Amino acid sequence: MNGWMGRIIRIDLSSGRQEPVAVSAETLRRWLGGRGLGVKLYSDMCPEPPDPFAAGNPLLFMTGPLTGTVMTSGRYQVVSRSPLTGTICDSSSGGSFGAALKAAGLDGLIVSGCAGRPVYLCVHDGTVEVRDASALWGLNTQQTQKAIHGQTPAKTSVACIGPAGENRVLFAAIMNDRDRAAGRGGMGAVMGSKNLKAIAAWGSQATAVADPEAYQTMIARLDRAVDKNPVTGKSLPVLGTSVLVNIINAHGMLPTRNFRSGVFNDAEGISGEKIAESLLQRQSACYKCPIGCGRTTKTRSKSGEGPEYETVWAFGAHLGISDLAAIAEANYACNELGLDTITMGSTIGCAMELHESGVLGEKMLWGDAGRLAGWVEDTARRRGFGVELGLGSKRLAAKYGRPELAMQVKGMEIPAYDPRGAQGMALSYATSNRGGCHMRGYLIMPEILGHPVFLDRFSTAGKPEIVALFQDIAAVVDSAVLCRFLQFAMGLSTFSEMLRAVTGLDFSDEELLSVGRRIYTMERLFNNRAGFTRADDALPPRFFQEELRTGSSRHRLVRLEEMLDRYYAVRGWDSQGAPLAATLAELGL
Amino acid sequence: MIDLDREALANMIDHTELSAHSGEKKIANLCSEARSFGFYTVCINGGYTRYAFEKLAGSGVLVCTVVGFPLGAGTSTAKAFEAGEAVAGGAAEIDMVVNVGALRDRRLDLVRDDIRAVVDASGPALVKVILETCFLTDEEIVSGCELSVQAGAKFVKTSTGFGAFGAFPDHVRLMRKTVGPGIGVKASGGIRNFKDAWRLIRAGASRLGVSASVAILEGLSLYKFAPAAWLEEEIPCHVCPSRFANLDKQPKAVYAYYKKKCLACPHLETFNKFYE
Repeated sequence: MNGWMGRIIRIDLSSGRQEPVAVSAETLRRWLGGRGLGVKLYSDMCPEPPDPFAAGNPLLFMTGPLTGTVMTSGRYQVVSRSPLTGTICDSSSGGSFGAALKAAGLDGLIVSGCAGRPVYLCVHDGTVEVRDASALWGLNTQQTQKAIHGQTPAKTSVACIGPAGENRVLFAAIMNDRDRAAGRGGMGAVMGSKNLKAIAAWGSQATAVADPEAYQTMIARLDRAVDKNPVTGKSLPVLGTSVLVNIINAHGMLPTRNFRSGVFNDAEGISGEKIAESLLQRQSACYKCPIGCGRTTKTRSKSGEGPEYETVWAFGAHLGISDLAAIAEANYACNELGLDTITMGSTIGCAMELHESGVLGEKMLWGDAGRLAGWVEDTARRRGFGVELGLGSKRLAAKYGRPELAMQVKGMEIPAYDPRGAQGMALSYATSNRGGCHMRGYLIMPEILGHPVFLDRFSTAGKPEIVALFQDIAAVVDSAVLCRFLQFAMGLSTFSEMLRAVTGLDFSDEELLSVGRRIYTMERLFNNRAGFTRADDALPPRFFQEELRTGSSRHRLVRLEEMLDRYYAVRGWDSQGAPLAATLAELGL
Repeated sequence: MIDLDREALANMIDHTELSAHSGEKKIANLCSEARSFGFYTVCINGGYTRYAFEKLAGSGVLVCTVVGFPLGAGTSTAKAFEAGEAVAGGAAEIDMVVNVGALRDRRLDLVRDDIRAVVDASGPALVKVILETCFLTDEEIVSGCELSVQAGAKFVKTSTGFGAFGAFPDHVRLMRKTVGPGIGVKASGGIRNFKDAWRLIRAGASRLGVSASVAILEGLSLYKFAPAAWLEEEIPCHVCPSRFANLDKQPKAVYAYYKKKCLACPHLETFNKFYE
């Protein structure tokens, strides 16, 4: 079938048994692949939410119909129940692992059960082979990848966990292609709970394209669109994602010292511009990506990938740290040990405020750059105070009786945009199906960057509609599977045409959006079954009670209640955030 | 309510690529997109006129070539020669830059004759006059419009895209009011998304010069899915040339003129409503 390889394998690590999973053409059309198909298959397998670390909690590695085709199509999505949040979760990563998995002949690999000893999987020619990983257990992610590369053909791509995943740290990441991360939600911990150290994929199977001529036309159009767009054509290639530091700080939205300010006085010192003139060795790019937002950097003693915007914030402004080298080295440590940098930094910030407020004895001081990498190491290896940092901010703050100091939604830490400065972003955080995440609906695009339409960031008018729209489009892109940065350069219609050229299926904009809505609603249904309600579509009280005092978002508070009912109505959900029967019928759920 | 369909919007667009560093590949892509989406013209530099004309053969998409671009400060003879060559190469429309310095000096005969020389050299091709509004006061914009009409131009146009700022509704409104309904008004420069485009169309623009044409069409497609967001009340100052006045890029008298307008602006209070 054009676009898809027509093969998904489910492997039970407990028994070693593997079997193909049949997926109908109709199902592919309704869920595409990646996040959408992953959520659908996961929900079918787990009508009742399992314990995230139970053998019965499947872990899905998914590609999509566009994987391995056009620019930025090397990505893959990991779907499971998050140990950090308890929600359904999908985590996305770049690099080339997605393309390799597809070239190995698979649309998806479903891993369930738990191996009796550490193993890794080799995927090639449509088959899955289980290999012993006892010798790899304990290695960091880069050592692991290097060791597996020594045992597999050239051009093998490896996704693996480090010590954090092995130790089931709740926000452990899966790392692939050296430093690319499926970072959010603790998918690495789920992988570790299965004694699964890594997956290696290689192959040469090409994705069949329905209309080669239209496909070439689309590639040329995308080339021009990416080049023309100031974000994808200039800012991201030259300065990386950290180009946002100065922009967001100028809007008074750069969360500083655990969101107590929206202005960081040393922002210039941790900006993309500063990285370019101090640490940058070269630009790096994922599979077939002309943007190249990645930064390969070097400090006096180490080198590695990053930091990108969220990381430079999490280890920088959020902690009152402006030592760029220390930030980069904490980033390298997270990459090597396999940790989500956002939750790691945010949890450290929470601990610093707990200490400052007098409830936490452990000495955690704002601006303490010297201990940063050590905290990361201790967290991954579960030693000393790292055991508590490994809980994430929600559990940590609750443990010390100050739950309001955790800057999280549904247990996932909010990233680098203060919601008091952008009401749409606030609503998007609150209603995100996987918790405090900017990627479910990136309202920074219209509210700060003016794309595809410039919206007044302080207004709540029209925000429920556009948040739902952005969330649905994001679900489509995550299911296709492409990089979200392409959204700067291309709209929904271009996605429709791209899918048409590759799959031969005539997707309209309306049908694609209904796919996105179906995915979002299915995720919501799972979360409802897991006990999440309207009360969880919330933000920390700080955003409703404490005005920002300086910067261009000063005097602002989040006005969530003005938007939430309307958002539910737009979604076809009831007042408690549960999808209505009519909505389910309309979406065929 | 936005009562504009995708086809009608595409038919208002001059799909533009005027960067000094654009090569044949970019022009070929530009033409390919214009064919696919049905844009009215492709707007390009003179060196690519014939190339684009051949690429667009049989498509119905016209070629629009810029003349005296982007400064407008050359001689009338040179501009006329450029225009003649462009028309010979297949251009159906000519976008010429007015002699901005002469207009600011009030050397009105020179400005009129400069435009007329291009109109005469362009034969059957339609001529648009780029006023480069960022360098002009309102009074000078009105003069520029009147002289353009007197010299036989069929369109007036706001900007080159290389000046201090691009098109604003205030300027388009003033130009439309000056030239009346029989002459075209083209808004260009800084039009990045559908809302920018729609704002200018409502102000009276009958043609848009944009390079983000595909994104603008896609913005229109998205509008129907979240109309409330597209139609929210706007902060007037966000779309006012006075706010974008730039001392580094504008003559100091023009910069001061725009800033002075703020003091008497009725929207001053509205702005405060949003920001205080």
